[in-house]
Amino acid sequence: MNSVETLVAQIQGLSGSISDVNQLHSLLKQSEDFFQSESTRLASLLTELDPSIHSLGYLYILEACTSAPISKEQASELVLSVARFINLCAAEQIRLAPDKFTSVCKRFKDQVMLLEDPMRGVAPMLTAIRKLQLSTEHLTTLHQDFLLLCLLAKCYKTGLSILEDDIFEIDQPRDFFLYCYYGGMICIGHKKFSKALELLHNVVTAPMSILNAIAVEAYKKYILVSLIHLGQFSISFPKYTSSVAQRNLKNFSQPYLELVNSYGTGKISELETSVQANNEKFEFDQNLGLVKQVVSSMYKRNIQRLTQTYLTLSLQDIANTVQLNSAKEAEMHVLQMIQDGEIYATINQKDGMVRFLEDPEQYKTCEMIERIDSSIQRIMMLSRKLTHMDEQLSCDPLYLAKAGKERQRFDFDDFDTVPSSKFTI
Amino acid sequence: MDFSALNDALASKSYDQIADICDTLMLQVSSQGVIFQDEWPYAIHLLGHIYINDINSARFLWKRIPLAVKESQPEVVAAWKIGQKLWARDYAGVYEAIREFNWSPEAQGIVASFSEFYTKKMFELLVSAYSTISTQDTALFLGLNADDAANYALQRGWTLDLSSQMLTVKKQVVATEQKLDSSKLQRLTEYVFNLEH
Repeated sequence: MNSVETLVAQIQGLSGSISDVNQLHSLLKQSEDFFQSESTRLASLLTELDPSIHSLGYLYILEACTSAPISKEQASELVLSVARFINLCAAEQIRLAPDKFTSVCKRFKDQVMLLEDPMRGVAPMLTAIRKLQLSTEHLTTLHQDFLLLCLLAKCYKTGLSILEDDIFEIDQPRDFFLYCYYGGMICIGHKKFSKALELLHNVVTAPMSILNAIAVEAYKKYILVSLIHLGQFSISFPKYTSSVAQRNLKNFSQPYLELVNSYGTGKISELETSVQANNEKFEFDQNLGLVKQVVSSMYKRNIQRLTQTYLTLSLQDIANTVQLNSAKEAEMHVLQMIQDGEIYATINQKDGMVRFLEDPEQYKTCEMIERIDSSIQRIMMLSRKLTHMDEQLSCDPLYLAKAGKERQRFDFDDFDTVPSSKFTI
Repeated sequence: MDFSALNDALASKSYDQIADICDTLMLQVSSQGVIFQDEWPYAIHLLGHIYINDINSARFLWKRIPLAVKESQPEVVAAWKIGQKLWARDYAGVYEAIREFNWSPEAQGIVASFSEFYTKKMFELLVSAYSTISTQDTALFLGLNADDAANYALQRGWTLDLSSQMLTVKKQVVATEQKLDSSKLQRLTEYVFNLEH
């Protein structure tokens, strides 16, 4: 097959049934060289094809056209046509050639960034992810590009929409690192600290054989978010953290660990000194905003601590203990915390007193039962998934061969004689 | 640009949908390469976020607005001023920001509706956070003058001590749905049964 005309005819003829498309796919694969040599002439063909019907053929041609370097004027044109293709293409066709589709989308992202107009890429990239993934549990390599565009375009809310999906399948480890890191930043922007903490935690504890910059930056943010959200940071790593991360991450995060220490004293003045001392480093890491939030979270933390000791306390005493300037300022802090559901208290302005109360939740409303039920359901689903993965892994020849080899290095007693029984509980 | 969905929402006073409609439309026209910045209803868009109390989104939108728009459209700046006051929890400042600008006819509806809603929310906050509070502070929180604020509170069962000008808050008894569906209980029982065997 060799002329441009036959190619177009084939694409037009073989875009109907599934078997036709499969046949077209193998034809297209055979003509890879032709696509490369003819890449400049192909662009004109696109007008003869309908992206919604001839998606697969369109994709191959588009991929070839976009492989050549282009000028800025052409870039704008290209971005438009790729965006149009992403919107119109048939998902079942492009899924036959996920690599081609991904490569077109990645170039699309690069061009959008070159044009310094990241917002142009946000909506098409989200559509691309939804078309490419088989289920919402699947992390595509486009997730991170989408989140990066959201960050650059300051469309954080749009980014949140995909972060709600629970991810169980990952193609490339790097995708996962970046997805969690950018996702963490988006959650921080919306002050969804507990989700941010979860995502950053994933980066820090993910398996890695060599240290990477994403994990280092994630660790710094993880420390800060942990202080803001939990009021503390545990410097020991969970057991499942890679040894590389355990050995090295702290060396790169000294100023942050100093901050943790001074936060632990509970004294604003010490915390501020520590912030001052490392101000430039925080600024260089672009974490100064978070550091400031750490400082203001300390007032809250100190007030929260008072609720554990006292039943009633005067506003003036609160101001003195947590180093606020006046009783009025203390009142405003307490009010904010009540508004956010961080403490339970009532302010008595007449006497200038605050009465701390117990959490009124009695865990017996319908709503609470619903929540407990849905949490149990989620955990049961997770547990089923884990069992399933375990079973698959224990049948995997590669794994069994490796497990068998490793076994000889240890005493016989260290292991069960049948490796599979150990893992399929 | 097709603003019909937005206009419909404004006309039917479905203000809680404004932010989503604007967000979606902005991403859509942007992906089509349309230069929308000059005619975008930024003030309404900002107010849409503020209306649903999504100050974070309002803040990011403000950061996206071109400088030229900020300089030429005072209503955009005025809308963001409300957002700033909310962000800083300057409770009384919110009302000032609402009052000090002469809102365009398009924005008037949503601003008025937000203001009313905000007063209600502040009153609920006072109920949950205070046992006694001065009339003066109540007035600041509710965006009313001292007499109106006292009346507003008295109508809702609070009492006023004239000599100290202190209002005593009447706590509301929150009636929550306590009735349990027996199937729910059955399910939880089954879980526990499963765990024990």
